[in-house]
Amino acid sequence: MDGPTSDLCRELEARGVSRREFLGFCSAMAVMIGLPKSAAAAIADALENKPKPTLVWLEFQDCAGNTESFLRSSKPSAAEVVLDLLSIDYHETIMAAAGHRAEEALESVVKNKQGQYIAVVEGSIPTGANGAYCTIGGKSALQIANEVCSNAAAVIAVGTCATFGGLPAASPNPTGALGVADAVPGIKTQINLSACPVNAENLTATVVYFLTYGRWPATDALNRPLFAYGKSIHDNCERRAHYDSGQYVEQWGDEAHRQGHCLYKMGCKGPVSFQNCPNVGWNDNTSWPIACGHGCIGCAEPDFWDKMTPFYAHLPGFPGFGKASNIDKVGFWGTVGVAAAFGTHTLIHLGKKLVGSGGEDKPADPTKGSEGGDA
Amino acid sequence: MTPPTTTAGGARPEVSYRAKDETGGLERVYVWDAVVRLTHWIIMLAILIQAVTGIYIGRPFFIPAGAEDQQFVMGTMKVVHSYTAIVFTLAVLVRVGWMFVGSYYARWHQFVPASARRRRDVWSMLKFYTFLSREPPLNVGHNPLAGLTYLLVFALYFTMIVTGLALYSVGAGVSYMKMWDFLLPILGGAQTARWIHHIAMWLLLGFFAHHIWSAILVSRSEGHGLIDSMFSGYKFLPRSWRKRDE
Repeated sequence: MDGPTSDLCRELEARGVSRREFLGFCSAMAVMIGLPKSAAAAIADALENKPKPTLVWLEFQDCAGNTESFLRSSKPSAAEVVLDLLSIDYHETIMAAAGHRAEEALESVVKNKQGQYIAVVEGSIPTGANGAYCTIGGKSALQIANEVCSNAAAVIAVGTCATFGGLPAASPNPTGALGVADAVPGIKTQINLSACPVNAENLTATVVYFLTYGRWPATDALNRPLFAYGKSIHDNCERRAHYDSGQYVEQWGDEAHRQGHCLYKMGCKGPVSFQNCPNVGWNDNTSWPIACGHGCIGCAEPDFWDKMTPFYAHLPGFPGFGKASNIDKVGFWGTVGVAAAFGTHTLIHLGKKLVGSGGEDKPADPTKGSEGGDA
Repeated sequence: MTPPTTTAGGARPEVSYRAKDETGGLERVYVWDAVVRLTHWIIMLAILIQAVTGIYIGRPFFIPAGAEDQQFVMGTMKVVHSYTAIVFTLAVLVRVGWMFVGSYYARWHQFVPASARRRRDVWSMLKFYTFLSREPPLNVGHNPLAGLTYLLVFALYFTMIVTGLALYSVGAGVSYMKMWDFLLPILGGAQTARWIHHIAMWLLLGFFAHHIWSAILVSRSEGHGLIDSMFSGYKFLPRSWRKRDE
């Protein structure tokens, strides 16, 4: 190989990532976005030669789980190099600068690169108490989000907190937390990458797509890229055959559980959750929740903490009967109740008629007028 | 007791109709046309099939033994559920359309208590059910309370159809079924759609229990062959009663 020709090549070499590995990464990205393998060359070309956009990473009400997910590769991978090479001018967790210096970096990006930078947002934005629940450098999260997101070329909301409010917005939502789109209305381009945390592969693929084509991938109604959120977990699940055949785990650790049968009866939310976990996996595709024998909790869906709970039950409870109540039990006994009520009604009716007509089951005497029996 | 007559000139007489107004004898009146009867029984059968398969889909109570490639229990249940849903949806749509083009007793005014008399009879019927009166108000077609109830039942049908289409769109393989996924955010997500689908099913089953009992009860009280009429289309009514509605 000749000497490195671009920043990316130099960086790959310095980190010990081979050219072969880099091209393998480009192929994987092409496949993930849903392009033919031949697109890998275009991706490699774009990554090597196109100017890198500036990126700022904002953290609000979050646990830094998305940052962790994104930084915790087991070895320096091509993906990491690509993301590192994005000019990350502001990221509270990994930046060297602190205090006023850090805030200056953010301000200069907003001022000097208006409409050109990408803002990645992690964590929900509290709106209660005038935003006092989350302040950075004397400004509330809401102020910062308004300044930074409305001047960005595009906003990528990573994790369920930033996209839909997530855990902080779960009932009763004490801080008035909102997702970015709700807190900062009027953002022109927003890509939502929900999940708790975001899958770093999906973030990388979204950025690679943008670098290659200069536009953002097609999205669903919730602004999530279709390549990652176009299919339900259930439809790609490796245990799907057990679902269709009717073989279910009924208790943790039972024989079916040991055999790897379907977790549907244990409250798996795979059928109502959209993400590509079964295909892409987590932690360098070592595993994912259902492969470890635990049902999906639907973390990528709006309000999942309110709507997908109880995590180990098929459906939420019935209002007034408690969160853990079983709607089908309530419904069953309700139906039995209705049947019993009408049965009793008929018995009373027949009883009254028997009394009224002297015990004979015959039509009432028409000459008796309105006071007569009525059957 | 004299049989009611219409006054000359066509003005509707304010006559109190009773079950005992039978001294003029009974006549056979064609009330329910073929479409009404057919859709009634198709919808009933479809609901029963969908309730049984749907309860299994919600809570698979039977778990077959053996290798998974030899079984297709859940798959079969879902196929039957979906195909029956097509029949059900079409039957409901036909019946709703028939409310506007069908015969007199199939029409929308039998369901919506638009006239003062039908509104009054809603209360009379409630009084009958709560033992406050011994006489059900007499109507040739649906009694107004029943008609009102069926409006709610049709609302439940549409709830089932809408949530069912939304849930089907999650895994749909063809574009004209996939497009229904626009319903998912409106319904609050697939999990909430599922939850609504379950509640609506139990309400329909509750209605089913109520419907059978009240049909038997009213049929006996009126003595006009209400249940038979859903098969034959004919009720046996005291002479000239049908003029009441015409």
